[in-house]
Amino acid sequence: MLWLQLTFTGLQVGALYALTAAGFSLIFGATRVFHFAHGAAFVLAAYVFYWAETSGLGMVAGIVLAALAAMAFGVAMDRLVYAPIQRHEGSFFTVFVASFGIGIAVQNVLGMVFGRSFVTISTGLSRSVKLMDGVYVSPLAWIAVACAGLFFVALLLFLNRTHVGMALRALADSPELIRAYGLDPRRLSSIAFALGSLLVVPSAVITALGSGLNPTLGHHVMLISLAATIVGGIGSIGGALVAGFILGLAENLALVVFESQWTEAVTFAILFLVILLRPAGLFGRHATR
Amino acid sequence: MTASAATNAAARPVEAPEVLLEIRNLEKHFGGVHAVSNVSMDLRAGIVTTLVGPNGAGKTTLFNLITGHLVRSGGSLRWLGRDIAGMKPYRIARLGIARTFQDLRLFNDMTVEENILTVMEPGALPFSLSGPSAREKRAKVEHVMERTDLIDKAHVRAIDLAYAERKFLSLARIMAADARLWLLDEPASGLDPNSYETFLRLLREEVAAGVTVCIIEHNLDIVVGISDRIAFLDRGRLLADGEPKSVLENPELTAIYFGDRA
Amino acid sequence: MQAYLLNLGVLISIYSILAITLNFIMGYAGIFSLAHAVFFGVGAYTGALVAMSLSASIFVTVPIAMVVAGVLSLALALPALRVRGEYFVAASLGLQVLAVTVFSEWKSVTGGIGGLIGIPPVDLVGYQIYRPAAFFPLSLAVLVLVLVATRLLVHSSFGRSLTAIRDSESAAESFGKNVPLIKTISVVISAALAAIAGVLYAHYLAFINVESFTLDTSVLVMAMVIIGGTGTAAGPVVGAALLLLLPGLLSYMSFLPQTQIGAIQQIIYGLGMAVLMIFRPGGLVGRSKAKARTRPKDPDTEAQAPASRPAEAAR
Repeated sequence: MLWLQLTFTGLQVGALYALTAAGFSLIFGATRVFHFAHGAAFVLAAYVFYWAETSGLGMVAGIVLAALAAMAFGVAMDRLVYAPIQRHEGSFFTVFVASFGIGIAVQNVLGMVFGRSFVTISTGLSRSVKLMDGVYVSPLAWIAVACAGLFFVALLLFLNRTHVGMALRALADSPELIRAYGLDPRRLSSIAFALGSLLVVPSAVITALGSGLNPTLGHHVMLISLAATIVGGIGSIGGALVAGFILGLAENLALVVFESQWTEAVTFAILFLVILLRPAGLFGRHATR
Repeated sequence: MTASAATNAAARPVEAPEVLLEIRNLEKHFGGVHAVSNVSMDLRAGIVTTLVGPNGAGKTTLFNLITGHLVRSGGSLRWLGRDIAGMKPYRIARLGIARTFQDLRLFNDMTVEENILTVMEPGALPFSLSGPSAREKRAKVEHVMERTDLIDKAHVRAIDLAYAERKFLSLARIMAADARLWLLDEPASGLDPNSYETFLRLLREEVAAGVTVCIIEHNLDIVVGISDRIAFLDRGRLLADGEPKSVLENPELTAIYFGDRA
Repeated sequence: MQAYLLNLGVLISIYSILAITLNFIMGYAGIFSLAHAVFFGVGAYTGALVAMSLSASIFVTVPIAMVVAGVLSLALALPALRVRGEYFVAASLGLQVLAVTVFSEWKSVTGGIGGLIGIPPVDLVGYQIYRPAAFFPLSLAVLVLVLVATRLLVHSSFGRSLTAIRDSESAAESFGKNVPLIKTISVVISAALAAIAGVLYAHYLAFINVESFTLDTSVLVMAMVIIGGTGTAAGPVVGAALLLLLPGLLSYMSFLPQTQIGAIQQIIYGLGMAVLMIFRPGGLVGRSKAKARTRPKDPDTEAQAPASRPAEAAR
């Protein structure tokens, strides 16, 4: 029953990866900004939630505050860091370095405030319940999958049905067109950052409640988001979602064969195979350079 | 190579010159848009061909297909009888096809001298074992800089040049590249009358020395002044291909051309 | 005090070598790697193992370490350079993460978390060099050699090709440059030269473990290059000296919580990188590229009517 257990865990982890990666992909797709500090938004939201919980504000307030913090961080990055850079040069590299630098700073500030060791919030939700012989699933896992489903549907409806959603998808291809429709590309870019950053919140909260937090998690989140974006195909939000699930499942099913310290290596192997065999990604449109 | 082509042409002026590039039924689609559609034409040694047509007619796309920057959707491209479709851009370049870009794409942080020098080197090895010696290369760079009036700017970075100088550097690069076919994408646009005369003189000299040229140009003075032949493209289709006069005097084509401008 | 300064001098020399070799690909080829500590580590482990089992002569350890690191870098360069620039960053980050796992898990070779101890001092034509007073001149000499070698490369036809590719890949291709090959060679050269720093490091400390070769090290070296000045000769050395002097300077400031010096240092260079990118992307040494690049684009690209562009610009 080990593999069944791992499949369940994999789906839970995959759901969270999928949401985070979709956020990164949404931001990259709409603004062409390689938002490396996406991992920082994740740890920031998680620690804000942790702080609210431990200071007795309650879970709902914690979630709201975490969401506000993540969105504020994303928008601030867009307005205060990326916009000034893009005004004078905006090469991929300059944006990447700035984003990366902020990510390091956020990680260390959180480390100074909350300590560098693992912290977790104990709740009944993370206690596993027996589903059948040898298969245990915690209520948190169901919440994770349900949350992911809910957010996917909401995101797809937003991108396909609303005016702003459709404009976001067209933003990267032709900013002139967006302007011609009377929309402000700068405002749209902020919306992309707010939404993309919001998508890390379920994952951040559930991680804080479940496996626990540490400031360096941001790197892991970033690696996963990047890998999922590339595996799914750059520019394809749906691809990033599916790839998130694939990576979560692969990471956990690999435990049948490998020890746990090799899980990131499995992600990396998948990423490399995709770059080698299908550089456009599983669902991508733009192939090579 | 270029020299023999020139003597050939001189020895047998009556015959049509050798076909360098043969384009047959070339197609390029972007999604549902036909950027180039069923284009067939020959580029012959020593003949100056000008591509005209409204913006978006597919002229630059045609260049990109020839140089391998875009992969064709259908049709064939033959260089001296050899199939070049699907070859990487650097291989096509090494066969003797060179180009300029409408947005120039100079090596901005390199000096004028380095910009010209680097196109003469394949550059995968720190030290070249074959080819011209360092001194020969330097001499050629000097010569090219003198002809393009860039000699005083030899050590200026490309990005710090004035606009006309940037245009001439783009031309200097292609002069140094030793190519047999030049694809020039709007080389004269934005030049002042003086620079423009220099440009025309340089181009004539190079053509006389055996270079085959294909130009994208909007300026009808250039088109008439230097072309042996005009190919008129519109919405990816080749609408006419022939003597400058016959093409330019065709009222339907001028309607399309000027209609777009208005 | 003298011992402290000599130790600092050795470390600055070693990290300068790392920064110079990373700058070689970042500044001249436009390739951004987060895996530089991997090649530093491979050089250190290889050098240590060769010294412990074969010979501690610098003329044996260094060439072997260079070859091993160079060959390993092909595993990163060959797949990742075929595709867009963003992929290389992602793949190098992945390699860095994987390498840390390998360094700490492949216990029979790397000694696991415990690392390798008792690495013999470096042997230079029969002389054992281990005292800082002797090691500092050696590391400085190696730094100068690496600096000269990279300067020669940058000003060779190979270097011109690299810069041309960085400035305009499509134009470089149009003039016959085999772009993936040239980029791959530059990555191999960079990795092989970084391995030299690893060998020196292993000999100097006589002890290495995975801690020195983590993502933090890759990031630190990247910060040195960026803060000093990408694509400049002196920038990486200035950046390395500055960032290695920083912990010492911070510890003089007694109002700072001493246990947090490491974190404060990282915050400073993290913010430093971001602020430089906004106001001075060329780094401290580099000329302000922001100024140069604000000049208007060529009028003919600007003048084109936007509506007519998509068909021709769709590439």
